[in-house]
Amino acid sequence: MKKIGLVLLCLVIAGTTFAKGASEPEGAQNVTFWYHFDDPETALNPLIEKFEVENPGITINAERVAWDVYNQKLLTSVAGGNPPDVAQVKLWWQPQLVEMKALLPLDSYIAAWDGKDDVFDKIWDLTKYSDGNQYYMPLQMVILYLYYRVDMFEELGLEVPKTREEFLKAAKALTRDTDGDGNIDVYGFGIRGARGGHDWWGTFVLSSGAKFFDANGNSGLTTPEAIAANQWYIDLYRVHGVSPPTTPADGFKEIIANMISGRTAMTIHHLGSSTKLEEALGDKISAAPVPRGTEGYWTSFGDEENAIFAVSDVPDAAFKWTSFLATAENNAVWQKSSGQVSVNKSNATAGGNRFLKATTDSADFAGVLPANPGTAEFVESLWPALMQQAFLGEITSKDMMQAIADHFAK
Amino acid sequence: MKIKKLLTTYIPVLLIVLFAIGPYFWTFLSSITPEKDLYTVDFRFFPTHPTFNNYTRLFTKIHFARNIMDSLIVAVSTALIGLLITIPASYSFSRFRFKGRNIMLMQFLGINMFPIMLLIIPLFIIMKNLHLMDTHFALIIAYSTMAIPFSIWMLTSFFNSIPKELDQAALIDGCSNIQAMIRVTIPIALPGIVSTGIYIFITGWNEFLYAAILTNSAVRTIPVALQNMIGEYQIEWGLLTAGGIVSALPVIILFFFIQRHLISGMTAGAVKG
Amino acid sequence: MKKRSGSFPYILITPALAITILIIFIPMFRTFTYSLTNYILWKPAERGFIGLQNYRQAFSDPILLLSLKNTVIWIVVIIAGQFLLGLSTAMLLNRDFIGRGIARSLILIPWVTPSVITALMWRWMYDGNYGVINEILVRLGILDVYFPFLASSSAALWAIMLALLWQGFPFFAVMILAGLQAIPNELYEAAEVDGAGNLVKFFRITLPMLKPVILTTILLRTIWVANSLDIIFIMTGGGPGYSTYTLPLYSYIRAYKGFDFGYSSVIAILLTIFLIVFIAGYIKSILKEGEK
Repeated sequence: MKKIGLVLLCLVIAGTTFAKGASEPEGAQNVTFWYHFDDPETALNPLIEKFEVENPGITINAERVAWDVYNQKLLTSVAGGNPPDVAQVKLWWQPQLVEMKALLPLDSYIAAWDGKDDVFDKIWDLTKYSDGNQYYMPLQMVILYLYYRVDMFEELGLEVPKTREEFLKAAKALTRDTDGDGNIDVYGFGIRGARGGHDWWGTFVLSSGAKFFDANGNSGLTTPEAIAANQWYIDLYRVHGVSPPTTPADGFKEIIANMISGRTAMTIHHLGSSTKLEEALGDKISAAPVPRGTEGYWTSFGDEENAIFAVSDVPDAAFKWTSFLATAENNAVWQKSSGQVSVNKSNATAGGNRFLKATTDSADFAGVLPANPGTAEFVESLWPALMQQAFLGEITSKDMMQAIADHFAK
Repeated sequence: MKIKKLLTTYIPVLLIVLFAIGPYFWTFLSSITPEKDLYTVDFRFFPTHPTFNNYTRLFTKIHFARNIMDSLIVAVSTALIGLLITIPASYSFSRFRFKGRNIMLMQFLGINMFPIMLLIIPLFIIMKNLHLMDTHFALIIAYSTMAIPFSIWMLTSFFNSIPKELDQAALIDGCSNIQAMIRVTIPIALPGIVSTGIYIFITGWNEFLYAAILTNSAVRTIPVALQNMIGEYQIEWGLLTAGGIVSALPVIILFFFIQRHLISGMTAGAVKG
Repeated sequence: MKKRSGSFPYILITPALAITILIIFIPMFRTFTYSLTNYILWKPAERGFIGLQNYRQAFSDPILLLSLKNTVIWIVVIIAGQFLLGLSTAMLLNRDFIGRGIARSLILIPWVTPSVITALMWRWMYDGNYGVINEILVRLGILDVYFPFLASSSAALWAIMLALLWQGFPFFAVMILAGLQAIPNELYEAAEVDGAGNLVKFFRITLPMLKPVILTTILLRTIWVANSLDIIFIMTGGGPGYSTYTLPLYSYIRAYKGFDFGYSSVIAILLTIFLIVFIAGYIKSILKEGEK
């Protein structure tokens, strides 16, 4: 026992860092950068090395933060007075961060940056905050589209659905018992019913009469059309049964697993999962823009940006780093790791594969959730709880829409 | 007799061990199965194309060995410091009746009841002011403090179960208070001390939330490293399961060597002391 | 045992007291003051004293009531299960048999597996399309088709509680195993001389001698289980709907998804008060036990 204790003690003393060694050369600027990547094997090192060579005197201290606690850690660090200089951020956090006066407006920096014209205009529009300032530097984008099983569509002689009605028809036809044992083996559409599924919901509900806010700033979620659109979506699961019984608990892992196994014939997701799906299914998987609702198209624009924090003492160096990442050549390297789409016009390729094509074909109608401080909580906890209750028949479509409207009215 | 032992000991033990390792074993099978083979319509208990690729990736690309080291440093220090602070306090609560004893005991219980996740922001500020952010020390302080209330109650009850006549006898023999504690009570309470130490160790080994907020890349414990494999749009399932398997192993091995001290008991303890 | 020992007992306690006051007590007091303010993290400008408004809101909050109900079920079922399984395990592992050291180490696995893995693994085992639990139940003829455990508002809480039973029973086993070592062998020998059987020895000697350890482990574990939320959070996030919300999970979601620290603190305080009431009688008997 004593020996074990002694060995452990030595081990501990040898390895413990008691305080951060702060030994920086005079005049050097150290930029702390928080980011998150889905693939844990990717490293930023090549980009950082390139940047440090191009910008002598600036070092990048990149910290990878787990996605599940990213937002929580970021807000905690802002409230605790110790945020990073630069952090990767999402659009729906912007209202809260601006409200906390945490961000540095970048308008004057961007005006002087010669790379600004190479970033898609639409991204500048979407990321501009409602107070007229630009706090966010574009980093990557992703647009959700419809994945479908080519072989199953061919087998049943179906066309890729272009409208909500065609979609429901196809989904019903695809939902079937393939081996005759009386149990359904394939479901038409994989709905994400757990956290994060609001993008699926938006595609059918926000395209068919529901709006978070109407032209007068009132809620547009409780109109008869909006409630009917939500009911139509709930019925996909409850009435038509075109989505698996597990729907209320399904997250992205389950959605993609069900596509790989052939349990579902359609789902909605983005470029990030195309490699995995193509690896498993080859030519049997393809993509198209999402179907049209009663009033138009809606699909989710998934964004990532960088923001510089107001208390940063190296804002100039921080901007150099964010603009470096938003420059075509470097942004392309970043996207290789993220598996998503570059924000630069000059990186847009005319051809590309079928998944990239579905992405670019959807660019015109891709939308974002409202720039409202309530959006974060809507996404994180309110929407999943309400949607699941509606799917299980515990609340009505009207109850659900009313609760969302009440939340945003606060 | 042998059959009786089989029925009353070996079979129940086997069942409990199976229950304990079942999910772990299933995780292991999952970690050696290529991900796309996990999602098949026809169910398979064992992988048809097992691969140890995830384990190779874990140690070559993710530097998981470093995470294990960080976790070991934090958990071992937490257990040692926690015990060092707790043993005297528990001894005092068990052996002496003094003014404020019950209030203080209740105080330790009360703070145990409060959800510690709400203390993160104040703690963040404390650590920032002490310049301890992103160090092992930040976690060691936080965890050993978190473990104190619990350990004090646990150890006090272990001390209580040791007859007080023993240390009284030592006092009569001319030992001082401190000598009675170190020479008599502590050795007998060793199984309790070891198991409390194990408790503190495992708390430090598994804690996620504080580690995620109070440290960055300089210190990355296992739970944080594992959580890093869950992205916004993807879960690295293979790496995650492999990491789960690996992260339980050091503790199991450590415990295998320590568990002997759980059986020292009265006699062995008294002799050793 | 009454003894005047001057300042000695206080000296022994001082380090533990000092560090807990600094690291836990002061932050806790702060959190208490949050409950009287409208402290929403991202609205620093509007922060101010609002009296008992948060508390009033809490008493008419249906989610809070549901969380409370779930918390009671959660504590009672899990503690009873963990304790009974842990006690049996400890009694078995205290016997002499081949491979005892290995068995003792192996039963530790559930406890040392990081919660994130435990949660994801159980989630995967319960999976309604590929889960091994479903497959086994179907093969045994208990189910006709796969059942979506975590998508059902009646089954989800129970499914999570089984995962927690698995995670926590080794704790009881280890603590009780340690407690068993303090029972002098002479007691058993004397009982054997009197012709006592195993059952009599268990109820007359083992249980009474283990009483202080058992009372304390149950007490401490109740508090721990009442506060645990990571497994629920990862397995269902409180869903489907609000069916697996417990008080600490609700408090966590209010604090770190809604960033409403005022209301979150209220939930935390109510949880603490609930726990104190829940175990008040229990604590009395433990303190009495210590007086003996």
